[in-house]
Amino acid sequence: MYSFTRRRLIVVLLLTSVLLLTLDRSESGLVGGVKDAFGVVFRPVERFANVVSRPLSNVWRGVLDYSDMRKENLALKDLLVKQEGAAIAATASVREAQELLALNGLPTLAGIDSVTAQVVGQSPSNFTQTFELNRGKSSGIRVGMTVTNGAGLVGKITGVTLERSVVMLATDPEYAMSVKVGACTRANTTTTSPPQTTTTLATDGSSTADTMVPGDGSTAPVTTVAPTTTTTTSTTSTTTTVLQRATTTTIKGFTPFATTLPPIPGGGGATQITVPESGVLLPRETGAMEGQGIDRLPVIRFIQSSSRLGELCAGVPVVTAGGSQSLAPADLVVGTVSRVVTRTGTSGPLLEVELAANLGSLNFVRVLLYQPATEIPQ
Amino acid sequence: MKRFFAIIESPFTRAFLVGMIVLSFQTTLFNTLRPFSVVMQILLLCSAASGVAAGSESGAIAGFMFGFMYDMVLTSPFGLSALVFGFAGYMAGGVNTFAYSPRWWFKMLSVGISSAAAVLIYPAASLVVGVDGLLQTRVLGVALTVGLFNAVLALPAVALMRWALVKSKKQMLWAE
Repeated sequence: MYSFTRRRLIVVLLLTSVLLLTLDRSESGLVGGVKDAFGVVFRPVERFANVVSRPLSNVWRGVLDYSDMRKENLALKDLLVKQEGAAIAATASVREAQELLALNGLPTLAGIDSVTAQVVGQSPSNFTQTFELNRGKSSGIRVGMTVTNGAGLVGKITGVTLERSVVMLATDPEYAMSVKVGACTRANTTTTSPPQTTTTLATDGSSTADTMVPGDGSTAPVTTVAPTTTTTTSTTSTTTTVLQRATTTTIKGFTPFATTLPPIPGGGGATQITVPESGVLLPRETGAMEGQGIDRLPVIRFIQSSSRLGELCAGVPVVTAGGSQSLAPADLVVGTVSRVVTRTGTSGPLLEVELAANLGSLNFVRVLLYQPATEIPQ
Repeated sequence: MKRFFAIIESPFTRAFLVGMIVLSFQTTLFNTLRPFSVVMQILLLCSAASGVAAGSESGAIAGFMFGFMYDMVLTSPFGLSALVFGFAGYMAGGVNTFAYSPRWWFKMLSVGISSAAAVLIYPAASLVVGVDGLLQTRVLGVALTVGLFNAVLALPAVALMRWALVKSKKQMLWAE
């Protein structure tokens, strides 16, 4: 039999919980204040416990993780050697892209300040996926800011105190982000491509004209539609070639047109620049990426299969979409599509994303001091 | 002065101090030791042990207090752990009353079952308050592991919580 006291106790505890949950969900500042105050009291106790328990943690890690760590170390060394060359090329490309964006007055990631912080703890819960950083409000970090590491997107800041901040990982079920994804570049699509004309004016005055195909120019089969009309306007220096549109049955990726400009006066050779044409660039579709929890890959929803986008396939890169309402600036690397789940009806395909950042072994991360409009307090 | 000592000697003051120390080990040592990739829940263990040591009501209050402290360091909905841990303390006390004079293994069983139940209830409760995506099949494995671990550590935890929550006769005389 329940006594009155027992029933009253249960009711009081239940009501208190409901009250706390309501305060939390209404984003009352009271909850944050109480947590901050508790953190001030609790932090020294936690530090003491950390010192006391560290030897035990190290023994545990040493016993259980040693062989795995050795294997991982060897694999990483191999990977590092392979990546060094690619990284140099990628850095050059990124720099070029940033210069181009800056020249055109477009925002770039290079223009956003950032703070480097170290991961000092992670959530003790089996359900939430958060990390704690050793930087907080005093370093300019605010709620909503994007966190990345060298590889790509990691998550976003969900809580800040003076010297600490909490990062919600991109795999957390509560995490959502608008992203862009492109169509795959498989060689089985039939596309009509514009012609490419390479004109080379050499220093001796003679000129040549040639036709190229976007993509793997050396191997892709080409069907050129005749006729080709050649008009010679000068006997010594100029040749104008007019080609009809070339129809190709196989296009591999995008290779911009190569145009050789006339030589620089006084220069010895020819200068080559690349001029992409907007019609040849692969279209990209925007969708919403949502975390799915521990051990599950995030998924992208609301992508529509359309003839404009083309075929979706695994391996294509995923980047942030940006925009005034987005949580992150545009073109931040998120990862690659690992699987395409086709769904019937109007729901569109579901894309699983393999994140570029390894969330299992984070140490130092970069917080972009970019606070989205939606997170700025009114 | 007498009132001050009475507050200091209060079972829930002691439980609070025990909770602080246990929480500090939860966020450090037990955050590192993750058998089968599962974080051991020693605050939940203490909540369930409180119920076994001091009865359902005290277990519910102590569990609520421990859960409230846990909520302070989590980003999950504030008050959810308090609710679930309070339930675990209450349930452990309730299960323990099924036996007239519970033996050691029955205490372990009470703690293990209520801990596993709390782990299962947590994602369901979070779904109610609007946090989607936690209710997955993985929860079953987590509940089983946490339940087993808490059952193994039940007896020292019950002893600790008995020390914190149940006043001895000597202490009661001194307080008077």
